[in-house]
Amino acid sequence: MSTENSSASSAVEDSPKSEQVTRLEQTNPDYDPNVVVETQNLTKIYRDFWGRQKVRALNALDLEVRKGEIFGLLGPNGSGKSTTIKLLLGLLFPTSGRALVFGKNATEVTKNERIGYLPEESYLYKFLTAEETLDFYGRLFDMPAAVRKERVESLIEQVGLTWAKRRQLKEYSKGMTRRIGLAQALINDPELILLDEPTSGLDPLGTREMKDMILKLRDQGKTIIMCSHLLADVQDVCDRIAVLYQGDLKELGRVDSLLQVSDETQIRAKNLPESAAEEIRAVIAKHGGEVLSVENPRTTLEELFLDIVRESQARPGHRSSGVESN
Amino acid sequence: MVVERFPDFFQWIGPGSLLFLAILVAAILLGLFVGYVVAVFRHGPFEAFYVVAQVIGDAIPDFLGMSLRRLVAIARLTAKEALRRRVLLVTFAIFAAMLLFGGWFLNSSSEHPDRIYVNFVMWGTQMLVLLMGMLVSAFSLPEDIKNKTIYTVVTKPVRSSEVVLGRIMGLGAVCTALLALMAVISFFFVWRGLSHEHQLVGDTQTLSSFVEVDQGSRKSRFSGRRVSENAVMEAQTTQDSGHSHRLELVEDIRDADSPPLVASNVVDSEKLPNGRVKYRRVVCHPIGGHTHPVTVDGEGKDARIQLGSSVGYFRARVPVYADSLRFRDRAGDMKDRGTNVGNEWGYRGYIDGGSSGIQSSLARGLFRFSGLRESLFRRTEVIPLDMSLSVFRTYKANVEKRVMAGLEFESVPDNPEVDNRFVSDMITFETNEYTLQTLPIPRKLVGKLLAPDGSIVGQGEYDLFDDYAKNGNLLLSLSCRDPGQFLGVARADVYFRAGDTLYWLNFFKGYLGIWCQLMIIIAMGVAFSTFLNTPVTMLGIVVMAILGFYSGFVRELTLPDTDGGGPIESFVRVITQQNMQVSLETGVLTTAMEQIDKLLVWLLAGLTYLAPDFSQLDFSDFLTYGYSIDPQRLIVAMVITAAFVVGLTILGYFALKTREIAK
Ligand SMILES: Nc1ncnc2c1ncn2[C@@H]1O[C@H](COP(=O)(O)OP(=O)(O)O)[C@@H](O)[C@H]1O
Ligand SMILES: [Mg+2]
Repeated sequence: MSTENSSASSAVEDSPKSEQVTRLEQTNPDYDPNVVVETQNLTKIYRDFWGRQKVRALNALDLEVRKGEIFGLLGPNGSGKSTTIKLLLGLLFPTSGRALVFGKNATEVTKNERIGYLPEESYLYKFLTAEETLDFYGRLFDMPAAVRKERVESLIEQVGLTWAKRRQLKEYSKGMTRRIGLAQALINDPELILLDEPTSGLDPLGTREMKDMILKLRDQGKTIIMCSHLLADVQDVCDRIAVLYQGDLKELGRVDSLLQVSDETQIRAKNLPESAAEEIRAVIAKHGGEVLSVENPRTTLEELFLDIVRESQARPGHRSSGVESN
Repeated sequence: MVVERFPDFFQWIGPGSLLFLAILVAAILLGLFVGYVVAVFRHGPFEAFYVVAQVIGDAIPDFLGMSLRRLVAIARLTAKEALRRRVLLVTFAIFAAMLLFGGWFLNSSSEHPDRIYVNFVMWGTQMLVLLMGMLVSAFSLPEDIKNKTIYTVVTKPVRSSEVVLGRIMGLGAVCTALLALMAVISFFFVWRGLSHEHQLVGDTQTLSSFVEVDQGSRKSRFSGRRVSENAVMEAQTTQDSGHSHRLELVEDIRDADSPPLVASNVVDSEKLPNGRVKYRRVVCHPIGGHTHPVTVDGEGKDARIQLGSSVGYFRARVPVYADSLRFRDRAGDMKDRGTNVGNEWGYRGYIDGGSSGIQSSLARGLFRFSGLRESLFRRTEVIPLDMSLSVFRTYKANVEKRVMAGLEFESVPDNPEVDNRFVSDMITFETNEYTLQTLPIPRKLVGKLLAPDGSIVGQGEYDLFDDYAKNGNLLLSLSCRDPGQFLGVARADVYFRAGDTLYWLNFFKGYLGIWCQLMIIIAMGVAFSTFLNTPVTMLGIVVMAILGFYSGFVRELTLPDTDGGGPIESFVRVITQQNMQVSLETGVLTTAMEQIDKLLVWLLAGLTYLAPDFSQLDFSDFLTYGYSIDPQRLIVAMVITAAFVVGLTILGYFALKTREIAK
């Protein structure tokens, strides 16, 4: 399932764990501008008030997200996706390891100039209207009034809330809140966008629109990290994914290669008569092959996902190979 | 009024900022130490060093990177958020209820209704507003964190210092608006509550309601007190606001061409055979610090006599205090403190009247003034000298008879070896024990001009400003003229009264003191809540506020030589019922207890320096007793407030910066 030759993503294996822990300088001397996010041995253990270990939410995560890609974090509830994003934002501090964003430590405040963040649930001030909300966040980026006004207007239109822009957010439906949340994340025209469950609570239509918006952002050259437990979302939009399960990285790679089944061949044809099919079956049989089915072109992500879960339950722990699937 | 501090901004700011810096440095060092210890637990001793270094390294660019636009945005949001809270509404409702019931039970028939009114509204407003400031600030940031709305804020390029300072500003703005509203309402409440009018008791509002003064006893038929020397008739007003005034018809004899002292209350005038004019005027006697202007409409028997609205309550006296007060004892030796008569708390020093054998005691209270200029005074023909003197009697002679005191004025030459000096003759007067009395000092004072060797160079009337206080310096020496009695004074008890300032302005200055306290409470609430939860934050504020209000007392507790030991030792003594002076059994436990006590006492003493000294921010006494609040005091209070806001913002910055927001 995994092969060595990777072109789009390569750097994970050349960061040995021994030196990751102690380096604390903010700017990496070998900082590659194409690497937007890098985590090294990133570990988070939640502790209670007395310092006793409560949950190991993330375990020695090594990731690299490159400029211009849509990176998906996939995993069931409680697998550490949100924890990862919060670590990248500096909302949490790593127990060990480190998270670099634009080559800077994740706790550095100036990196936020170039980041947009849509939290799990849109934690917005309910007593503000959509306009006031965006204006407020615009001020936090020190944007002058004229720029702010224009940006607020265009974003509200972009997320399709023009009709409700003067209404307080407490009157908003879940879907509308999600949209204004996205608009808020885009107020500074960020280079890196972190989306925590962007489609949660959206109806199929809204989900489709959200996905289209994400793809459009990618086309504008932005880097996107999104996490989701909804497989279809991830499959549709992500270039690469990491599958997390109980804090452990289980799979990492390009979506298409992860789903490619290399020991199967698929033949698609149009208007093939029944007799031809029989012939093909015969040919396959002649070569010692076995016909599986004629329809299902690929495994679905769902299958992959359930596989991982099943396997993890049987053999818990880190994924055996530290090498990225391709 | 008790005044223990006479701040001079320029003298205060030096040691003041030094203390501030010392506290700041101590706090930062302590913070570094605590931070390092915490980091050692998380990262080990070496990496902890880098972690701490990084926090410090980030701090300066973070403070430099602060933006006004972000600050204002956060302040505005905080204000909007706070306005939605019910605390503000409830506070205002309680305030309104307080005034409604207060107006009902406040008794204006007391001797000083103005003091009671002002005290009541100021104390009530202060308590309410500080409580509100505490609640509003202790909830603000924790709620934001609990609702996770702060996630979308701190993931923007917002500095932690902006979160803290913006919150202080926003909450401050809302609370300030409410305080201002309460101040305006309080002002009108006091004003309306005190102003009243009276009518004459009698069938008509004319002279026919007056009766002849009993010429034999010259005591009033109404009050039994002595009437004025020139009174010929008297009358009484109706009982309003719990009191009535006595009116007198006085004779005012003037030269032919000079007008009466007051023209509006003249009933009639008569030319006397010697060419002078006798005016008869109606005057109203003051009670409890106020009186009513009398206007007479018409002339003679049918003239209508009308009493106007109360005047005199709303005063803001501008005192010119002495720079120092020193004493001479009975033998004439200089002392820093007066004689201790044993039963006082040391605020006042006592001037010995001498024993009856020796005719005149050399004991004096020496008030030294500087910068005394004519331009300070509104009126300069007669300068009012206000005094509130206390008397300690070693024998109860005639209690009715007042103790006599004497005053002399002396110049303080720049070069005492060369320059002559003016010394006035002694002015003697009866003292009013404990109540404020005003002695009008004529500008021209009879005295002598003395050469440095003590020989008399001249004698005559000399000018207070041009001669005695020519260089701005003046020595006023107060003596007790009754042998066996003592006169108690403090520096604030004797002052020249330069004039009055606008009462409403002074009223708002008084509320500025409450505002300073409010801002410090809010800053504490926001800063503490960056690392404590709401209940603990409130507890912290209460502890600091108590230390702030009673810092002097607490500091006294922490002095090393208090009987009974520190907190634990005294607790042990209480439960084992041991005397305060008995020393405890020596042993390991006792030693341990004493050491822990030492640490606790040391901590408590340290805390009293961290706590705001609210006595420097509390101006309610000035309003209660009708004194103008010196701008110096306001500046000092403002600087103290600013220092606290800055210090607490720094504390909040570090606490928020090193805190995991999403935990
Ligand atoms: N503040 C917290 N304190 C303690 N445990 C937490 C906290 N936040 C998350 N966790 C735990 O950490 C694990 C990962 O959580 P999270 O990252 O939110 O999962 P996901 O986003 O993948 O659903 C879960 O087991 C969760 O219960
Ligand atoms: Mg999550």
